[in-house]
Amino acid sequence: MGEAWIRGKSAPLDDAIAEAANIVAGSRQPVIAGLGTDVAGARAAIRLARLVGGVVDHMHSDALLRDLDVMREAGMMVTMPTEAHVRADFLLLVGPGLIEAWPALPERLFAKRRIVWLCPDAAAISASTYKNVAVVGDNPAELPAIVALVRARCAGRPVANAPIALATIDAFVAELKRVRFGVAVWSAARHDGLTIEMLCGLVNDLNAATRFSGLPLASADNAAAVQQVAGWMTGYPLRTGFGRGVPEHDPWRFEASRLVDSGEADCAVWISAYGARPPAWKRDLPLVALTGDPNTIRSHVTITVGRPGLDHDAVEHLATTGTLATVSARQPEAAASVASVLDKIITKLSAAHPC
Amino acid sequence: MLTRLAGGHVIDPANRRDTIGDIFIRDGRIVDAPAGGTVDESYDISHKIVMAGAIDIHSHIAGSNETMGRLVLPEHRSHRSLLDGSHPGHFPRPAGTWNTFETGCTYAAMGFTTVVEPAVLPHQALQAHLELADIPIIDKATLTVLGNDDFLLNLLRRRESSSAIRDYAAWTLSTSRGLGIKVINAGGAAAFKDNLRVFSLDDEVPQYGVSSRAIVKALQHAVHELRLTHPLHVHCNNLGLAGNVETALATIEAAESLPLHLAHLQFYGYGKEGPRGFSSAGARLAEAVNTAKSVTIDVGQVMFGQTVTISCDVLRQFNARNSAHPKKWVICDGDSNGAGIVPYHYKATDFFNVVQWAVGLELFLLINDPWRIFFTTDHPNGAPFTAYPDILALLMDRDLRAEWMSRLPKDALEVTTLSSIAREYSLVDIATMTRAAPAKLLGLKDRGHLGVGALADIAVYSPGNDKATMFREAALVFKNGQLVVRDGTVCHAPFGRTLRADPDCENGIKVRMRDYYEERYALSPEFMMVADAVIGRPDPFEIVPCLN
Repeated sequence: MGEAWIRGKSAPLDDAIAEAANIVAGSRQPVIAGLGTDVAGARAAIRLARLVGGVVDHMHSDALLRDLDVMREAGMMVTMPTEAHVRADFLLLVGPGLIEAWPALPERLFAKRRIVWLCPDAAAISASTYKNVAVVGDNPAELPAIVALVRARCAGRPVANAPIALATIDAFVAELKRVRFGVAVWSAARHDGLTIEMLCGLVNDLNAATRFSGLPLASADNAAAVQQVAGWMTGYPLRTGFGRGVPEHDPWRFEASRLVDSGEADCAVWISAYGARPPAWKRDLPLVALTGDPNTIRSHVTITVGRPGLDHDAVEHLATTGTLATVSARQPEAAASVASVLDKIITKLSAAHPC
Repeated sequence: MLTRLAGGHVIDPANRRDTIGDIFIRDGRIVDAPAGGTVDESYDISHKIVMAGAIDIHSHIAGSNETMGRLVLPEHRSHRSLLDGSHPGHFPRPAGTWNTFETGCTYAAMGFTTVVEPAVLPHQALQAHLELADIPIIDKATLTVLGNDDFLLNLLRRRESSSAIRDYAAWTLSTSRGLGIKVINAGGAAAFKDNLRVFSLDDEVPQYGVSSRAIVKALQHAVHELRLTHPLHVHCNNLGLAGNVETALATIEAAESLPLHLAHLQFYGYGKEGPRGFSSAGARLAEAVNTAKSVTIDVGQVMFGQTVTISCDVLRQFNARNSAHPKKWVICDGDSNGAGIVPYHYKATDFFNVVQWAVGLELFLLINDPWRIFFTTDHPNGAPFTAYPDILALLMDRDLRAEWMSRLPKDALEVTTLSSIAREYSLVDIATMTRAAPAKLLGLKDRGHLGVGALADIAVYSPGNDKATMFREAALVFKNGQLVVRDGTVCHAPFGRTLRADPDCENGIKVRMRDYYEERYALSPEFMMVADAVIGRPDPFEIVPCLN
């Protein structure tokens, strides 16, 4: 059964939920953050935020917004991992962090096609399993320049001060234009926004002559699914607040760490069901933690929750399909889910403040 | 509990009723006038109009593409505020939003009680159903998209039997929990994967050697043999292109004697006449629809203003991306159909946009059978659904149309016949087009009418000179007999259900699909399944029986 603590002392779950509801009810600006949870947990978190005028933010919002900013300021061609698996004849791996973001990437996409990796992380490429991977560029710091050079040469423009030999770039460009279906793979956790925009511009340009698309890898802790839930329930991505009664989105104003460290937030609900990531903020404030590992966080109320898809059935974003899907529990446990705990807090708050 | 709506003008074309009278409600259904029983609750609706709750057969309200549109357009303010003239560029939005909650409330305020999301890709069905579950008040349904998927194209290439195609359609419908089947630019998205940029009804998909026509006909027959209530729902090839009326006419002819529904026909009503090589072919198209009795259509009316086009016609969206306004877009060149999100601003000063606006109205006014023409904007592609009241007003009032036309560019109107059309829709026509006919088209026997036994989904309007206000803010709306809207404002927001078909699904096709997914994707098809337990609402689906 779920375990709970109030100020470090073990407590019955119902008492912890009542105390959590008290903390949130007494707050003028609650922040509901972390959001490492399944779809049911994210839906409950947003219902709670709507009820109490809270802010919702995900621990990986920086990476989510880096990809999204390219979509909402420029344009992006993407494909699905299933389509890449079946039809891609060329894989363009871009920069570091890919295996870390999607451990099954080699198993799903490395067979049966030509692969070029631009500026990989040393650890990934030294692994002997990736024998069929050709490398262009060995310093991730040079990646933005190399992507820009490739795009410029692709458009037939002159370039200067190339960090690697121009002949290498030109041979690579010629190859890109010959592929039947190329897929560029990157992880936004490891790039700046302009590099992603340049890469997506290159992908778009290549479609004048051939088929090419992007495959941005999702961030950890079910971030992609939580962003979708925020999208349909609020009309906005994460970093959205309900303080004025209707949802408002502002990537700066509603960043959880900024709200806490500046003192604007006076209470936080931290959700990390996929493990035990602590919040990045520095300031202490009344904190309710729903976590997979209670030893990693100091909070006023701590409630242990099950891991989605392991301890209980869950809807999650799957890297393999690029869609939301139901993941059945592998080791069903009686552990509480994030949704069940938040729903009980919502019930307490609704009873206290009928609306 | 017995509720009485007393003394309203009852407009119920399905039951040929157009009189002053009472409606009685008990346990969520419409019942006979009780013989002497006590009425627990009574609403005086004298001088008001009563219709069944309206049904929208084609509105993109849920799914990953709709949500991608939301994420890409944070400055796209609420549908409601788009119409009140406030500046669309504000960021963040000061009030109201484009989300599941507002979608249900805004539809309900207009008297709509059932809405169909018409484009769900089988791999992405779960997200669509999760989103629908968060739309309050209204009931929902989905159409499952087939026709660019490798499995079907292979069945056709190998000339497999019609029963194989039927079994596959049944399997897909049951995994994705759809009410009906839709085909979007049949074969066009598959051809796009081979870099084709134009694709017509008799073009063949490279690699598969199957024509678009063959795909449409195969699916039309599969739907018919499965005895699904809703005919095959077709988004034709060549959407938006000058001269594409030929494609629409050929598709209408291809229907032959079996039912076929053509979606958002306005987008195919274009000729190549006139000084700009772009003209209305609305009159010609309307005539063809009037003659082809097995064909039904919905309009996809364009209205002026900012919107976003959201479509699984990836070929069309790719070609349209350079006309995005504001300049941003997302194209998903993915499995089967793919999708594209392209923001667009229809301008009352733009020649082409004005012709589009006029073509839609020509179709509304020249197609003479309100049982075969359906009221849509292809939300949000032609306009957000919040524009419905203004369109209804234009249909009911030729003077209002003349006033609009006086402010629009003459050269655009000259390549249309709109100014010569005098017809005005009556309230009976409106009730037929938005209530009785959609219920019939979808096979929903207890909706769209006010007869005894019908669901008590009821809209009460206050008539006035301003028809748009009348339809924007219903005086009262009941969903399953519960009062949900009063004076245009939601007062209660329960959650409805999602209607789905439940065709027979043979065991053989389940085994075959498992093998196919293992071989092609190295995956179990389990990821596509939509289980009741994860939807997060009690008893989330209602089964609509197949035809006998």
